[in-house]
Amino acid sequence: MKRHILFPYWCRYLGWGMVIAHVPISIIGRMNGMINPLDNPAASSGLFSGEHLFFTGTTLLMTLGLFFVAFARERIEDEQIGHIRLDCLRWAIYINYLILIISLLFVNDTAHILELNLWVPLIFFIIRFRWAIFRLSRSLSRE
Amino acid sequence: MKNTIRIERAVKNITQAELAEQVGVSRQTINSIESNKYIPSTVLAIKIARIFSKPLESIFILEDGD
Repeated sequence: MKRHILFPYWCRYLGWGMVIAHVPISIIGRMNGMINPLDNPAASSGLFSGEHLFFTGTTLLMTLGLFFVAFARERIEDEQIGHIRLDCLRWAIYINYLILIISLLFVNDTAHILELNLWVPLIFFIIRFRWAIFRLSRSLSRE
Repeated sequence: MKNTIRIERAVKNITQAELAEQVGVSRQTINSIESNKYIPSTVLAIKIARIFSKPLESIFILEDGD
């Protein structure tokens, strides 16, 4: 049977670790005067400056963390899980484009729309996928 | 599509977990198939039919709406 390319199971924990680590690192950075170049492009000290590298690093940490959580293999990764995965991905794309279109129409802040676009599909996918897996396990325990 | 897996399991006296292990899926998947919540792929359907030594169409039966 065709196997899908997914990260090993343990990557889920690595991913959560990266997502959680992103929060205090970002807070400490802001406390030390780091300004998000997206918040104030005029005050930004340019490409590959300390600030730029810091915010690129934290954004990548969060994005890669979410990516690992979303695409880590389940303990038993069978065809039904693959089916649920695809269904959740489809919904994540629908929601992402819906939010993207609404934002483009009503929000005049393209920089933050980019950031939103980076995380919404992954976050929505994770929530819906975990919810579907939870419902699947609950239906089994009711039997 | 309905199926007779639950009956066949009872005849063969095997649990969902045992059937799941033999065909290489989770117990949740077997439970979903038995409850008609999930339609298995052709490969999985053939594997299940082989476990019960029955033709595919005697285990998986098409309904009018299919």
